[in-house]
Amino acid sequence: MDHAPCTPAPTAPPPPCDAPADAERRGFLKITGGAVALLAGLDAAANTETHAPPPGGDAYNWEEHRWAYVIDTSKCIGCGSCVRACKAENEVPEGFVRTWVERYISGPGGSYVDSPKGGLEGFPPVPTAFTPTKAFFVPKMCNHCKETPCVQVCPVGASYRTKDGVVMVDGKSCIGCGYCVQACPYGSRYLNPVTHTAEKCTWCYHRITKGLKPACVEVCPTSTRIFGNMLREDEPVRQIIDHERVSIMQGHLLTEPQCFYLHLDMEVR
Amino acid sequence: MPEITGYAFPNDIHIHWSLMIVMYPYITGFVAGAFIVSALFHVFGREEFRPVARLAMATSLCFMAVATLPLNLHLGHPERSWLVMVTPNLSSAMAGFGMLYSGYLLILVLEVWFVWRQEIIKYARQSRGLKRTFYAALALGTYDQSPEAVAVDHRAATLLAAIGLPGACMLHGYVGFIFGGIKANPWWSTPLMPVIFLLSAAVSGIALLSILYQVVAKLNRRVIEGRTVAALARWLWFFLILTITLELLEIIMLAYEKSEAWHIISQLLTTRLEFSFITIQMVVGGLIPLILLGVVVLMDKYLHERIRNTLCIASSILLLIQVFSMRWNIVIGGQLLSKSFRGLRSPYSPEVFGREGVLMAIVLVILPFVLLWLFNRVLPIFGDDLPAGGAHHGDPPRAAAGAAAGAAVAEVEPA
Amino acid sequence: MEHARHVFRVVLVVIVGLAAILIGRGFLVPKSHGIFGAYRADNVAEQMKARLPAHQGAASCTPCHKGKAETRAAGSHKTVSCEVCHAPLLRHVAEGKVTGPMPVDKAFTACARCHRKIQGRPEKFPQVVLEQHVTTKLEGAVCLECHDPHSPKL
Repeated sequence: MDHAPCTPAPTAPPPPCDAPADAERRGFLKITGGAVALLAGLDAAANTETHAPPPGGDAYNWEEHRWAYVIDTSKCIGCGSCVRACKAENEVPEGFVRTWVERYISGPGGSYVDSPKGGLEGFPPVPTAFTPTKAFFVPKMCNHCKETPCVQVCPVGASYRTKDGVVMVDGKSCIGCGYCVQACPYGSRYLNPVTHTAEKCTWCYHRITKGLKPACVEVCPTSTRIFGNMLREDEPVRQIIDHERVSIMQGHLLTEPQCFYLHLDMEVR
Repeated sequence: MPEITGYAFPNDIHIHWSLMIVMYPYITGFVAGAFIVSALFHVFGREEFRPVARLAMATSLCFMAVATLPLNLHLGHPERSWLVMVTPNLSSAMAGFGMLYSGYLLILVLEVWFVWRQEIIKYARQSRGLKRTFYAALALGTYDQSPEAVAVDHRAATLLAAIGLPGACMLHGYVGFIFGGIKANPWWSTPLMPVIFLLSAAVSGIALLSILYQVVAKLNRRVIEGRTVAALARWLWFFLILTITLELLEIIMLAYEKSEAWHIISQLLTTRLEFSFITIQMVVGGLIPLILLGVVVLMDKYLHERIRNTLCIASSILLLIQVFSMRWNIVIGGQLLSKSFRGLRSPYSPEVFGREGVLMAIVLVILPFVLLWLFNRVLPIFGDDLPAGGAHHGDPPRAAAGAAAGAAVAEVEPA
Repeated sequence: MEHARHVFRVVLVVIVGLAAILIGRGFLVPKSHGIFGAYRADNVAEQMKARLPAHQGAASCTPCHKGKAETRAAGSHKTVSCEVCHAPLLRHVAEGKVTGPMPVDKAFTACARCHRKIQGRPEKFPQVVLEQHVTTKLEGAVCLECHDPHSPKL
């Protein structure tokens, strides 16, 4: 499979801000123009052009960030610390994971893949019917795609991608239809059995907007997982993505993942 | 511990889209299929469909009325379902649901109004008290029964049927689109999907009307029109041939292309879906009715009327099962294969009780027939203008709904 | 046209109905929906405040546990965050105050997650066949009988 990475797109300058935020006008437009907008299908497009202050106040400006993730599969030891940290950090419900680790064991005679509980408790030795010649771990998670199929299919706009490049779910709008779970090619989403809404990796949005790293990156003992801001040239993610030979998951689906892999084997999909 | 074959992604455990999502296309299929039958008379002027045209339209409306129920029963937050209409995300196929559904419902209601307007006026004139108010409101206060006004009604009904036909096709094609547009799932992702859904909707609609027509006529002691039964059989056979061909083509194409997912799909078809796909959808529900209807169509002159009618009923029942299994195999089958393409999820069997259970599905199938019975009480489906053995005007067939519903229950069971 | 009066009436009913729905819709749209796209913009800020960060990294332990921190930083476990074997800091400290004892997993299984020899780990990574490496009974905190987890090299 060819995973030739696209050159990371140059950072788009923020759109010119020539009109001040005018919430009142917007409210008016929404009520009266709602009818027209609904029929004309201009709702989202028209409103995107409005200029509201970015969320988060002064502490964090999303225009100054565009997050990306790099996973070096050759370093992963399969300890599962990331899976446990993610579970603890995000209160991920029993039986589901927001990040997981897969193990690939292969040889000329066949291949074997496993991920017991997503790697939550590490991996046991396994007998294989063939003689393995190579084996490795592959951590996986939401790819925070640019052309994300899950956001595309959400009927109510509960799934969205932020300006800093994070795909999230608004739990207060989600109707729990499960369409996004079906549409994600990576199996990154699940329906929370308690809240009945879709959930997924947020790259720990509550952490990264406070200057911390995602929990999985924080605890990784081998620096398999690297996270950073593509808008800064000195960031390791930017250096790796710009200069190394990186791959992405299922490139043929053209979802433009923002998780990049180093040393990925063709067995992995 | 769920039984998983091979390697499935850790989150690929449950079947999110349950029996209710199987019921949804099944029910909207009847909406579209029944409308196609009524359009054959109203738009294409096929006289042999006159005896079923009004029944078909009423059936379409009654199924339409319950079409949103399975969806709401499935949603994690049905109390938020109105958001689909209020904040539709226009890039989502599913957001089109609100507009397609309400648009088509509007057309259907309007058409019913024009077709039944003469009856509405008659009841508004004949009845007293509350009943009179009700019918007068339904008539919108105008009692114009002049030949010119009747001609206007006809034109309006024809026009609405002409708009409604693509509307019905869109509504059901859209359901297929929901699945066909998921590129993550190779069992769903094919442009053929909306077409297959539409054709099988036509099959299920015509099959349902074949049964309903004969049952209702029997209960009303009306003559079963031979040419109507034969015409229904002919069209049913035609749509059956198309739908089976496309269903097979889709799979043959996957196998022939040796697409990357074929090894997992072939596993799916020969293990988890062996019974519901090969046995039910292809043989019992596909091949057998194909032969039976072939006999009816090709050897019509040599068949005794009763044998022909029985053959039609038998193949229609099998086809209702076939279409249900087709919905099942698409909706459930597509979720049985993990997106890892390396394994299958554990087999799915629906709960019996509960929101998304088998009992609820049975209720969903019975409900439209209850509505149909109610509809007939308010606006009699069989007017005086029909060639009838004995006109039973104003004497609605009470048992009809019960009997029809009984037949329908039997049809759900292959689940 | 006089015989089409009922058509005009029904069209009027439809128009009134549609207008009512569309105006009603305007009131139902959540306040911040559509500011940045077809989603509720307020949710971005809500996500930022969704929960307190539980993990705070090794540096956050140093002020109180200087000795252990120095030992760790000098040994081969220098890249292993305290919170891997212990628990997220939030279980132990909240808003600068100790809220409870810090749990720690001392069982050999915790060590085994990284150091048990299994297929998949990079060759050079230190790993042992547990059954050969441990001569006594393989249970409890057997690894800690010889190794100091903060500086495990013997």
